[in-house]
Amino acid sequence: MAEPAYTVASDGETTGEEKSSSAFPEIAIGIDIGTSQCSVAAWNGSQVELLKNTRNQKMMRSYVTFKDDAPSGGVSNQHTHELEMLSGASIFNMKRLIGRVDTDPVVHASKSLPFLVQTLDIGVRPFIAALVNNVWRSTTPEEVLAIFLVELRAMAEIALKRPIRNVVLTIPVSFSRFQVTRIERACAMAGLHVLRLMPEPTAVALLYAQQQQQTIHENMGSGYEKIALIFNMGAGYSDVAVSATAGGVSQIKALAGSAIGGEDMLQNMMRHLLPDSEIIFSNHGINEIKSMGLLRVATQDAIHKLSFETSVQIDVDLGNGLKICKVVNQEEFQEVNREVFEKCESLIIQCLRDAKIEPDDVTDIIAVGGCSFIPKIKNLIMTTCKRQELYKGINPMEAAVCGAALEGAVASGINDPFGSLDLLTIQVTPLAIGIQADGNNFVPIIPRNTTMPARRELAFTTVHDNQTEALIVVYEGEGKKVEENHLLGYFKLVGIPPAPKGVPDINVCMDIDASDVLRVLAGVVVPGSQQPAIPVMEVRMPTVDDGHGWCAEALHRTFGSRLNLVTVQKKMQQ
Amino acid sequence: MLASSSSTSFLQHPLPLALSSKHQPLAKPYFLRFRTHKTVAAACSAATETGQAQRPHLNFPVDQMASAASLYEVLGIPMSASCHEIKTAYRRLARMCHPDVVAINQKEASANDFKKIHAAYSTLSDPVKRACYDREIYGNQRRPYGSSPLSSAAAAAAMAGFPGRTRRNWETDQCW
Repeated sequence: MAEPAYTVASDGETTGEEKSSSAFPEIAIGIDIGTSQCSVAAWNGSQVELLKNTRNQKMMRSYVTFKDDAPSGGVSNQHTHELEMLSGASIFNMKRLIGRVDTDPVVHASKSLPFLVQTLDIGVRPFIAALVNNVWRSTTPEEVLAIFLVELRAMAEIALKRPIRNVVLTIPVSFSRFQVTRIERACAMAGLHVLRLMPEPTAVALLYAQQQQQTIHENMGSGYEKIALIFNMGAGYSDVAVSATAGGVSQIKALAGSAIGGEDMLQNMMRHLLPDSEIIFSNHGINEIKSMGLLRVATQDAIHKLSFETSVQIDVDLGNGLKICKVVNQEEFQEVNREVFEKCESLIIQCLRDAKIEPDDVTDIIAVGGCSFIPKIKNLIMTTCKRQELYKGINPMEAAVCGAALEGAVASGINDPFGSLDLLTIQVTPLAIGIQADGNNFVPIIPRNTTMPARRELAFTTVHDNQTEALIVVYEGEGKKVEENHLLGYFKLVGIPPAPKGVPDINVCMDIDASDVLRVLAGVVVPGSQQPAIPVMEVRMPTVDDGHGWCAEALHRTFGSRLNLVTVQKKMQQ
Repeated sequence: MLASSSSTSFLQHPLPLALSSKHQPLAKPYFLRFRTHKTVAAACSAATETGQAQRPHLNFPVDQMASAASLYEVLGIPMSASCHEIKTAYRRLARMCHPDVVAINQKEASANDFKKIHAAYSTLSDPVKRACYDREIYGNQRRPYGSSPLSSAAAAAAMAGFPGRTRRNWETDQCW
């Protein structure tokens, strides 16, 4: 295989303009970068086909091992034993770490991984390093992902015998726009151009739409709408989507997602088997890493076995006199992970409620992802949806990547004589986008589950007499307070004509265009005037690079409530 | 929730300024391009889902509203269309106008078209919002009650006794 041509030193960002610049003669491939496993699929002219690496694998472990010479990932390289991946030299779970700051609980949970994840808890990016010849060599999730994507690209180029540039990627529903920019940067570093990004369950919904379209001739009620609930749970994330499908159009009604997955269950089980494991492993010495790896492999095996058996015997010697000999049964596993299961259930309920769909109206329930094999997960989905069985026509491990490949073919303008590509996905916003107002409240302007493209606006006003400046701080998320949400950017509106508080009318508009680019516009009107008082500001978001927590704190420290805004509604109450 | 309540407050905005005229010149060229299309304004104002700050466009003079294409015209369906027909029309138009299916140089125009179509769909596919909207256009067109087919008959019946502007306020209170 050719030497990887990644340009890790490059700071060149993929520009959004590029997204819509030229026609794409080549067929974009679909890539599903999983927290634990990765796969690539492409439209072969008549159907979607999963691509295999030189070892004939369709699913490849997502990791990169750092060595003296060049790093190598799970596509080209294969460890003879799982333990090699856990020696400290390999970085994995990058999808859980990408675009997160060191105050994030998900980053903290990653500290029990065999490589180094160090946090200063000040809202900057965590320090991540791989152990190479007894040296902790620093890297970033973007770099690791880029190295991995270079291998995937090389693999796809060999399999398809053509250069690959355009890709459709699947991402978790809960990814913020900032995390999306990190994924795009990793792709740019790997020489890939992101044609479209699809929340994972919407890729599954598209595959389902295609299947329904194909079976149209078989059933008579062809044009009728089918409602699908898609639950996707992998190692790192859980996502739910409710889609309405008919005539090849997959209309997403609602999305819900959370950074909860198999990794959480694994860590809960590890803690259950060895309660002070975190303390024992915290110093990341060579021996500790080895013990941690042994425990991880044993626990993972046990969880896999529990998908088919009622109880499992765990027998592992961790060295340093630490031995675990224990029988774990289904009930114990479910009790240890009760919170995980409760969260899954609440995501499904929330998604159905947001879609305004009753469980009885759902035609098919589709469970995909590695965790969909867990009996408790299947049960809770069926119980929540009041159903006896799940949809069987979809391979749980391949659904997302196949959907992405379909979208790749559709987005590349490929036509299929049999109409297999007569497809469209109508997407919604996975998270609300809004600004800070009414103190430190988050006021959504584009709510979650708004059909895209979208444009919404909301009126605000000043909180102080003669306030001539206002700080517009843009967040994305679901929390009521700004600090619970993700900072996307900020700008200052200056030159507001002096007036008593509450008089200037400050209009903030958010626009998500056809290429999924977010722009925030703000303008001021003073009563009695027909014209905007100052030129309208238009800012493309996200603008914030790293260090979000730190940045929000600095804004707060510098400006306090001096440049705050209130919603017009709030003003009425005062 | 927030969206709807905020727009309510917009209606109660103490400023004497006419809201619709105030918004139009606010942000050029974006707001303008978005606003000048009468159908868009009509669609957005009726799409209660959108809520925020769109509401002021209901303050359009009555005749101006009447001259704008109705949401039914946006979707190309009769006022008697069933829920199924509305959904089918929406999908058919989405297949033609969604930015994902048009040529790259038409994306922006198609995004605006699609927003319009979706606003019409989201109002008409919701029975409550549709009833509100039907009352509204019936009020504006001052059609006799009996002549309306199906859904609007119910709407017309519901608004009996609320003539002219009183009806409008009543409808506003109920829907927001």
